[in-house]
Amino acid sequence: MSVVSEPSSAVPQMAAAAAAKRLPLARIGIWAVTLFLCLTPFLLVIAISFGQKIEGASWEWAFSFANYQRVFVGANWPEEFTALYLQKLYYSLYYAVIASVLAVITAFPFTYLMTGLSKRAQSAWLVFILSSLSLSEVFIVMGWDVLLSNRSGLPMVFKATGLTQWLKDVGWFETLRDWGLANPRDVKFKTSVFATVLTMAYLVWPYAVILLYPPLSRLDRSMTEAARTMGAGPWTVMRTVVLPAVRLPLMGSVLLLFVFLLGVYVAVTVFAEPAKQTMAVSVYEAVRGNTLNAPFGSAQAVILLLTAGLFLALGQWLTRRNAS
Amino acid sequence: MILRSLGNLFMALSAVMLALPIVVVCGAALNSGRSMFFPPRDPTLVRFHEFFVSEPVWVEALTNSMIIAFGSAALAVLIAWPVAYGLWARGDKASKFLAGLGSMPFALPPIVFGVGLGFLWTFLGVLGSIWAGVVSHAALFLALPIVTISIGLQSIEKSHLDAAATMGATRAVAFRTVILPQTIPYTVSGFFFALVLSFNEFIVMFFVSASSYSTVTLQIFNSLRNGYTPTMAVAAITFIFVSVVVFSAVARWGDLPRLMGAEPTKS
Repeated sequence: MSVVSEPSSAVPQMAAAAAAKRLPLARIGIWAVTLFLCLTPFLLVIAISFGQKIEGASWEWAFSFANYQRVFVGANWPEEFTALYLQKLYYSLYYAVIASVLAVITAFPFTYLMTGLSKRAQSAWLVFILSSLSLSEVFIVMGWDVLLSNRSGLPMVFKATGLTQWLKDVGWFETLRDWGLANPRDVKFKTSVFATVLTMAYLVWPYAVILLYPPLSRLDRSMTEAARTMGAGPWTVMRTVVLPAVRLPLMGSVLLLFVFLLGVYVAVTVFAEPAKQTMAVSVYEAVRGNTLNAPFGSAQAVILLLTAGLFLALGQWLTRRNAS
Repeated sequence: MILRSLGNLFMALSAVMLALPIVVVCGAALNSGRSMFFPPRDPTLVRFHEFFVSEPVWVEALTNSMIIAFGSAALAVLIAWPVAYGLWARGDKASKFLAGLGSMPFALPPIVFGVGLGFLWTFLGVLGSIWAGVVSHAALFLALPIVTISIGLQSIEKSHLDAAATMGATRAVAFRTVILPQTIPYTVSGFFFALVLSFNEFIVMFFVSASSYSTVTLQIFNSLRNGYTPTMAVAAITFIFVSVVVFSAVARWGDLPRLMGAEPTKS
């Protein structure tokens, strides 16, 4: 990393002195800007989470754990225990775990196949993947909403093609009803856990490809070829050569996507049942919605932040353990 | 060979799945009525005129989106350059910490960062000004140019710097003639990544705009409750089009596989 220190030895002394004078100021400036923009917002959330709401007004600074108590055991504890907000946290984790695992499992074979293509073809796929990745959550939710809505989407396709009738005939329709995926007459996907998880997995699928792309494209293809020439079948190669090499990136990707999905808001408000909303939605309701309780919203945001930090740290630890 | 065709089938299926909601939204944009149908009824392009020209709500939202996207991407690149340069030139603990700090908003759930920025701008009394929105997005997407510029700096060959130094180039001259030209594609890529993501970002803007102005994504979210209109689908098409154009440009003039972390090809 001493790449520039050598040319600087050739720099005339006066210029070096001038640079030394200018440099600390510039460094202090960039530190100040970064600290201000990237750290203070998080510090404010943490500080305000200890504050108190003033009835009918806004809130004031304080130092109480009442907001955290309300999240974990309810406002009226110890007389009464409510797990309402714990349940929201549970659903945050629940959706995020399923969707991130689903995304990585399906993105892995895709990315593996993609890295075997020519560089040109890879570029074309990457343009497609990146365009989909950058597409706003609101558009994706809109698209899936149209696809899954009861009037115009897949339920109508099911009905028109006779699939609904067939499901009824073979008796699987009742199973779908048990899963909450059908009303007495037709299949329905809104609102359901299925729709929520599907949209969330879709949301992070391109991210999964982008995350798995570097380790898979750096995979030494001569190793797999050697294994093949020695007579190993494609599944054996996958199991004994490829998977062990990318086990860590796979787990790392699941963790990163999981953390990303903790904060998903639009997909959950549209596709999840009211009783199965997540903490991110609850944060919004407290800070900007009807209840207007910024400290309580902040406390929930801090809990989300800690959960995210915990899993990111776990990922770091896994990487370091593997490296040593 | 069966395996290969199975592989191709899987890739095609993935592409179809990925394109499905996008295709549906795009198709719905051609509807002539006020409701969204797929397949569209009486295909028309009137909705495009509405979005870009005749409906003030959408035109204003598009203008705000553009101001925020271009402003924040430029600002992010300006802040990211010294951070990435410090990381490359010094590579000490402090520079690494700084780069990590700059990437933090992008790595953590954006809703938390959005709430925090909302508080910050409230204290400074600028909540709801469009400039606060620009700065917010610059902070959120700072990680992207930091990463691309770092990749660019690492690709500079040491021999070029040595040659410049031997020929008596000062640090400033070496920077201008060696470092800058070789990293421009990466800087531009970082700019465009930040631009496109800012264009599409929703939740942070939701908190920092405080309903005093709207961007296209905010406007769409606000209209979600009143049901979809084909004009919203036009917005989606526009956004997809911008993304495809931008990333194609990056792929054409930059090294997209390398930027995404593939091993550099030996030339």
